[in-house]
Amino acid sequence: MKIQKIMFERVGGCTLLVAMLFTGPALRAQEKQPAKIKASAIQVTMIESDEIKLPAEFQVSLYEDLIQQLQKKGGFQHVYRDGDHHAADAADLVILTSTVRGFKEGSERVRQVTTVAGATSISVHCAFTNKEGKLLVERDIKGNVRFFGGNLRATYDFAKKTAQVAHENFSPNAGT
Amino acid sequence: MVLSFWRVLSGGLLAMISPFVLVSQAQQPAAPTKVVQVMGLTGVKSKTSGSLAVEGGNLRFAHGAAKVDLAATSVQDVVTGNDSQRLIHGTLGTLTMFAPYESGRFLSLFRTKLDTLTIQYRDTDGGLHGAVFTMPVGQAEVIKKELIAQGARTSVPTVEGAENPSSKATSAKEQKP
Repeated sequence: MKIQKIMFERVGGCTLLVAMLFTGPALRAQEKQPAKIKASAIQVTMIESDEIKLPAEFQVSLYEDLIQQLQKKGGFQHVYRDGDHHAADAADLVILTSTVRGFKEGSERVRQVTTVAGATSISVHCAFTNKEGKLLVERDIKGNVRFFGGNLRATYDFAKKTAQVAHENFSPNAGT
Repeated sequence: MVLSFWRVLSGGLLAMISPFVLVSQAQQPAAPTKVVQVMGLTGVKSKTSGSLAVEGGNLRFAHGAAKVDLAATSVQDVVTGNDSQRLIHGTLGTLTMFAPYESGRFLSLFRTKLDTLTIQYRDTDGGLHGAVFTMPVGQAEVIKKELIAQGARTSVPTVEGAENPSSKATSAKEQKP
C-alpha cells in the first residue's frame, strides 16, 4: 500500500512537470504578444544607405523583396511603393523607412567550397511611422545567407523577418 | 598616267559609297542581349531569361511571346556592376553538389563572370520599382549608354557621358562588388 502511494506520487509529479513544460512557453508567448496597431495600408520607402556603401543591386533587391513579402505575409490590404500618389488618400497608413546600418558581402564561391565561411549579412534599422511621422514601431533586423544561395538571398531573409514584424504589430482589424 | 587614273577612280568610288555605308551602319538596330531578369520587372517572374534591347526610346525585355516595355525617360537610375556564377549552374549545378568525393565543391571553383544592370523606374502612379538583370561581361555598359542616350538618368555617369546634362553628376564611382 505504501509502495503504491509512492508510485502514485511519482507519476503525478512527473505528469505535472510535463504539463508545466508544455504550457509554460505557450502562456509566456501569450503574455509577450503586444497589442496590435490598426493599419490597413503600408508604404515602403526606398532603402537608405547613406553611411554604408551598399551595391545598387542589394538596395533594389531589399526594396523589391520587402514589398513582395509584405504583400504575402504582412497582412495589409494595400502595399504602396515609394512615391505612389494613391498612398496619400489611404486611411490608417503606416510608412516603413529602412536604413542600412551594416553590410558584409560574403562570397558564394567560398560558401560552396567551405560550407562554413563566406556568409553575407546585412543589418537594417526599420522604423514604422504613421502619416504624421509619429514612430510606432522600430527594430534592427538582420538578413543572412550562410550556406546555400547567392548573396542576394540575404535580402530575402531580411524581407521575411520584416514582414513577420509587421504582421505581429499591425492589423487592419485592431482596436486602436 | 594610268596609275593616277585608277587612284582618282577608286577615290571617287569610295567617296560615293561612304555615305551609304554610314547610313546602313546607323540604321542597324542594336542586337538584343541575352539576359536573366533576376527580379523586379512587373509581370515577369524572378530568374526569367530573355533578351534586352533599347529600341525607340524603350527598354524592351522579351521572354518568348511576352514583352515588357519601359520608357527610357521613366528610368530614374541605371547602374552597372559585376558578379559571377558557377560554370555549371541551374538544375545540373544543384545535382553536382551531391557528386561523390566532394567533387561538387571542386566544381564550384570554376565560375563565369557576369555583368549586372540595376535600374530604378517609376510607374504611371509614381511608384518606384527596381529591377536587376545579369548578362555577359561587357554588355551592361553598352545598354546603360543606350538608355542614357534615350533619356534615362544615372547616379553614376559613364566616362563619356560625364558631360551629359541628363545624368545626375555625382562623385560616386561605379560600384564593383
